[in-house]
Amino acid sequence: MAPLKSLEQEYPILDSNFQSFCASHDIFSVEDLLLHDLYVLAAFAEQESSSERLKQGIAQVLSIIDGQHQPWLNGIELLEDAQRNKHVLSTGCEGIDLLLHGGLRVGQLTELVGPSSSGKTQVCLLAASNVAKKHIGSVVYLDTGNSFSPQRVTQFICQHSDPAIDQAKHRTLQKVMNNISCKSVFDIFTMFDVLHQLEFNLRSQMQGGDCKVQLLIVDSVSSMVTPILGGSGSQGHALMISAGYLLKKLAHEHNIAVLVTNHTVGGDGGISKPALGESWKSIPHVRLLLSCDHGGSICNVSILKHPSMVESFASLFTMCAIDLSLSLSLSVRPFYKLFLLHMVFLFLFTLFNFFSSGCW
Amino acid sequence: MRVASHSHRLDGSAGGCGTVNGAQTAWDLLHEEAMFPRITTSCEDLDNILGGGINCKEVTEIGGVPGIGKTQLGIQLAINVQIPVDYGGLGGKAIYIDTEGSFMVERALQIAEACIEDMSECGGLLRKDFQAFQLKMHPNNILENIFYFRVCSYTEQIALINYLDKFISEHKDVKIVIVDSVTFHFRQDFDDLALRTRLLSGMALKLMKLAKDFSLVVVLLNQVTTKYIDGSFQLTLALGDSWSHSCTNRVILYWNGNERYAYIDKSPSLRSASAPYSVTSKGIRNSASNCKRIKSGVVHLVISRVGHG
Repeated sequence: MAPLKSLEQEYPILDSNFQSFCASHDIFSVEDLLLHDLYVLAAFAEQESSSERLKQGIAQVLSIIDGQHQPWLNGIELLEDAQRNKHVLSTGCEGIDLLLHGGLRVGQLTELVGPSSSGKTQVCLLAASNVAKKHIGSVVYLDTGNSFSPQRVTQFICQHSDPAIDQAKHRTLQKVMNNISCKSVFDIFTMFDVLHQLEFNLRSQMQGGDCKVQLLIVDSVSSMVTPILGGSGSQGHALMISAGYLLKKLAHEHNIAVLVTNHTVGGDGGISKPALGESWKSIPHVRLLLSCDHGGSICNVSILKHPSMVESFASLFTMCAIDLSLSLSLSVRPFYKLFLLHMVFLFLFTLFNFFSSGCW
Repeated sequence: MRVASHSHRLDGSAGGCGTVNGAQTAWDLLHEEAMFPRITTSCEDLDNILGGGINCKEVTEIGGVPGIGKTQLGIQLAINVQIPVDYGGLGGKAIYIDTEGSFMVERALQIAEACIEDMSECGGLLRKDFQAFQLKMHPNNILENIFYFRVCSYTEQIALINYLDKFISEHKDVKIVIVDSVTFHFRQDFDDLALRTRLLSGMALKLMKLAKDFSLVVVLLNQVTTKYIDGSFQLTLALGDSWSHSCTNRVILYWNGNERYAYIDKSPSLRSASAPYSVTSKGIRNSASNCKRIKSGVVHLVISRVGHG
């Protein structure tokens, strides 16, 4: 926390008189001021000669502190913000879009969990190419496993056009691919660096049009956290949680959709569970579980956690050379089937009642 | 008490649309990829499913049952990386990290001689200067370009991988790092499995960083173990679930009847496919039943690459 001395330049009311008054009460920095009982301090200020200035100084410091956090919003403002800024980005895969009622929501952290080679990187690449292609905005891809494949992205972008490349298509492809920027990060400290830099750039630049960052992909966050998690200290834990909060903060304040991938580990009874443990569980807004049948190309997506949907809805999609297309119909939860059956019986029952009361 | 004032110096000079400093666009990466050729495995079918060979800047894990030819493939790659650029190779040196003691120099010499023979064969086909070539490429030269490290414990292994950064900055022409096998020292006598997971994922990240920074090929050879999945015991690669996420590509070698097959299990851009291969006295070659052609893998590679140049 800043020492009071450094604030003097900007706020002349916090002059040396104020500082020596605070120093006499063991207050040297803003943090000390916060820890101190402010009523007691004000009472002491009353007894001083320049009591008015001192009280103004205290009020000034408090207003500086207030300025550090986001402004209070009421429900109407939140709703307006949600309707205006927090739209949905299509992932490019109909199955997942159907499941998520449109796609990845801006302002939310979506996590893809799955065992090895279940298609997590493919979904990330597809989402990146789709967002870039539809000129919704630019994409930042942070890659820990050197698995960003520009060839695959090209395939996804060109899937619906003719294989013959002419000048115009070449230029379009270049324009779209320039919207995706990829950086390799190999440890969590580099990732913090990159995210802080991104935050700074977003805050200081005037955004507009195609250039706005809409999607941030981190593939995968578990490879960065696993080397530091566990062991004797809890530093790894703290780093993981702060990384999660930083991602959510970026998502909410700058209207970005964040997509991260996580792997699975063996749990009790041999059932695999998502890695990174219980504390990470509450950080993503939406958790999707991907699984692929071995050797086949049918993948299964289901919801593990969602802020507004019931879990265990599932959807199936095919992974093939060209794209991830919807293969089979949405598999509806058995509850709805039972409900339908119920309605049919109710109808028959009322019909029976009607006939039995009408005829006799 | 003096308080050090911390000024967070962030460069406001971002390249373009709110992007990250040091990031590259996908377009640049696409063109960069074309600049780095792949390392052939000398088996045409295998090269085909791999999209030309083992890719640079990626960590490829190759696993299989004992005796399937992992070490043979490792030695073959250590030699194939040295194929000169004129002949469609990388013209680089190799680092071979041996944890099991399975590297045999005599076998490497045998494979090197076979490789030179194949190259001189196509040197004649392409009217290259045969004499100059023969003087340059001698099996001893090939062996000289393989840096061999023997590690005997997991601490040595981790220390070596940490040291590789410095070593490779001094020997800039190293183009491949082969670890045979990455599993060996982590399987026995490891009481603390959580520590093992941490060490392995840390090691994997360092190898990824090496591959990316120096544009290397990193090949990790792995062993198999049995696991109880879905009610039956199945063979899977060793070191557990977390390790399986630490590589970019994964190739599984297995027996199908009497034939050896390779299967691409994980890749960001390649389709899952299998291809047969065989281990001959000359090294890894096409499977005998498929090999109706006279040309070997190297010759095919040279003709396809150099012919376009």
